[in-house]
Formats: sequence, C-alpha cells, structure tokens
Amino acid sequence: MTQIFTVTDLNERIKERLEGDARLRDIWLQGEVSNYTHHRSGHRYFTLKDRESQISCVLFKSSGASLGIAMKDGMNIMAFGDVTVYRPQGRVQVIVRGVKEDAGVGFRYMQMEALKKKLAAEGLFSPERKRPLPAYPERIGIVTSPQGAALRDVLKTLGAYPARIILSPAQVQGEGAEESLARAISALRGMCDLVIVCRGGGSIEDLWCFNSETVARAIAGCDVPVISAVGHETDITIADFVADVRAATPTAAARLAVPDAEGIRQSILSSRVRMMRALWTAHERRAERLEYLKRAVSARRMGSIAADARQRLDYLSARLDAAAAERLKASRSRLEKAAARLDAVGPAATLQRGYAIARSKRGLVMAAGDVRPGEVIELILAGGWLLCRVLEERQGGGEREEHEGAG
Amino acid sequence: MKNDEMGLEQALERLEQIVQTLENGKMGLEESLDLYERGMELVRLCEGRLQSAERRIECLTGELPADLRGDGKAADTF
Repeated sequence: MTQIFTVTDLNERIKERLEGDARLRDIWLQGEVSNYTHHRSGHRYFTLKDRESQISCVLFKSSGASLGIAMKDGMNIMAFGDVTVYRPQGRVQVIVRGVKEDAGVGFRYMQMEALKKKLAAEGLFSPERKRPLPAYPERIGIVTSPQGAALRDVLKTLGAYPARIILSPAQVQGEGAEESLARAISALRGMCDLVIVCRGGGSIEDLWCFNSETVARAIAGCDVPVISAVGHETDITIADFVADVRAATPTAAARLAVPDAEGIRQSILSSRVRMMRALWTAHERRAERLEYLKRAVSARRMGSIAADARQRLDYLSARLDAAAAERLKASRSRLEKAAARLDAVGPAATLQRGYAIARSKRGLVMAAGDVRPGEVIELILAGGWLLCRVLEERQGGGEREEHEGAG
Repeated sequence: MKNDEMGLEQALERLEQIVQTLENGKMGLEESLDLYERGMELVRLCEGRLQSAERRIECLTGELPADLRGDGKAADTF
C-alpha cells in the first residue's frame, strides 16, 4: 500500500523516528570544528566532520554559557548532545549541550603541519628563496576563479596601471581544485613578470586546497615572483609560506603588485625639473666662463696681438724677398755657364780653330763626290764666307795637291 | 631599442641615467642639448604610458566573464 506524504508530514515522521531513537540521545560525538559562527543571538552554529563526512551542529546560548573552551575552526572536539531534525529544512543536526576539547589538533591540521615541516626542511619557505617583486611589471598573471570577487578586487585595485593582465582561470575550492590551481600556475610559465594567486574569503575547507603540496610545488616552481592572497587576513595557508610575498587580501596583493601611478608621475616630474636645472646650471657655468675670457682678452691686448702679427708678417716677407733674389741670382749664373758650354760644342768655336763648312746648293758638302767640277760652293769661315768654283774632284784621304803645280 | 618598444621601467631607468649625466655636467653644449631632448622624449613616453587608460585583460582558457570583457577601459564597471 503506497502512502502519499506531504513534505511536512515526511519531515515530521523522520523527526519522530530519529528523536524517538534512544541510541541517538545523549551521545558523544567526536570531530573537527569548521564553519564556526557565533551568532548575534548567542547561539553557535558549526559543522563537525571527519575525513569522510560532516554534520551540522547547534549550541544554544543557554548551553554555551557554561562552555569551558573557546571554540574555533580546525579544533578537534568531543560534543555531547542529541540528534534532532530541523523540520523546516529537513536537516539532521546535533543539538550540542556540552563540548570538550579533543586531545591534539584536527587530522587535517596534523597533515598540514607535517607537510609544512617537510617543505620547510626542503627550504621552500626560506627567505633566501624569496624573489623581489618587479618594480614595474608589464605582464601580470592572475590565478583565480573568473567568477570570484577576488579577481574583481584585484582588477579594481590595479586600476589604470598600464599592464597586460593575463587571467589563468582555476577552480579555487572543492574536488580537483589543487590540480586546477597547479595547472593554472604552470600555464603562465614564460608569459608574465609577476603572478598573483588569490581567492576571496571562505570556510577553512574552502581554502584548504591552498594547503596542498601540489599547489605549494607549483608556486615554488613558478618562473616569476608569486604574490599569494588567500582568504582574509587571518587565513594563512601553505601557499602563503611558499609564495615570494604574502598579501593579507587580494586587494592588498594588487597594491603590492604595481607601483603607485601617482608616485611615478611625481618621479617623472622631478626628472624634468632636474634636467632643466642641470641644463640651466651648465648654461650659467658657460656664461661665466665666457665672461671671464672676454675680460681676459681686453682691447689693448688685442692691439698688441695685432702688432705682433704685423711684425711677424714683415719679417717673413723680408725673408721671402731675400730668398727670391738669391734664387734669381743663382739661376742667372747657371744660365751663363750653360751658354758658355753650349758655345764650346757649337760650330762657331770649331770655325775659330780654322775649320770651314762647305755648302752646295744641295746642302752640306761632306765628301768630294757631293760636288761636280765646275760647280759653285760656299765656304763658311770663322769670319765671313767665300764663294768658290770646284776645279777637280779627287777621292781619298785629305792629301792636297797644289793645283797649279799638278796641272 | 626604439622608444616605443621600451617598457615603462626601462624608460624610467634611462630617464634617470640621462638626468644624472646632465647633472654631472661634463659634456659639451650640443651633447647636453641632445641629451635633454632625449630625456624629454622619455618623459613624454612615460607620461603617455601612464595616461593610456587602456588595460588589456586576456584569458588563458575559456572566455572572460562578461563584466570584464569589452573595451578594456571599463575600470569603472567594477
């Protein structure tokens, strides 16, 4: 027989059933506190959990008054109370009436502390590893959820700073968040001058992925400085220890990432002023020097310099004249000598020595056969010339016969 | 490197060098006027960089959320 319930009927039935179970009354429940809220009303709401499950708990104001401990997230407690059902939401919850602290810290915290120790031993947190942030980053990588408020806070704070912003989207909570964050960080390799890894506030569970070894190693392996900003000021994760700089909030991260634009403007202005002052100072120095030189070169001194120059010119021109005259004289004497030598080898001197030059109508007479008997020839002597008729032609060496004697 | 390839940081560094060289005052008039000119170019470059409200946001995977998309000058939208 199938029964039709209204929701209210069903929740009422569940409530009766559970709350009627004596085994679910006056129980001790062991677990780790999370999502702890101390409401204005004085009631406390939190979740108790272990590695696999969680359950909502309420501790009413009346029971809280006698509470001996200050509850907080991550604390391992033993809670005393009853299982109830909150009918309007069909939620099973534990009404806690007493709390005592469990020995030791929560399991996750133990895990986290172990990891922290391990990474610290490897030197991942050491101050020497911390890289300085670039003064004027031009490419800023942001690893976060594209939907999150953290991204908007960061962008708003970066303001109009002129940088290229590269968003590398990541899942920042829940299953697979660790790997997603690590992938998003690695994806920015070689693309940025600076990486901001951030996430807004949330429960300690939500932030837990930032306590993972995977994310820690991704941050440590990042090729540029990393600023971490996870949750609120009081949330410090392992990611914060590994990062080069930890910012309290995403907004603070953005403020750390870029210089104040107004500050840069001031420094540019100061550079301008300094350049102009330097130029002006240099100009004044030059002007002073010019003034000094002008005074040094007075008119009188200029006159004296001119006179010196004049004198030197006269001296030089005199020397030049003398040199020229000397040259001329030497040339003339050389010419005379040359003329004398020329005379010595010329025909005039030969004629002086008693020789004569014979010339016929056909030119110089060099041999007896050059003329015929009866022909008229000229004889040129040192002094004057003779017109002669050839009587006889004889071949041979120069024996002369007396014409009359032989004929 | 050409001026327009220079980043803000480099430009500011170079500007500072020029200012210091000018302040040393160990150069000729021509040279220092040239330097001054170059310094003023850098000043204009830096101021230009700062004034350009253009901020480029890009997304490595997937799309940028609608409120971050658009003209890149949307600094007042969030």
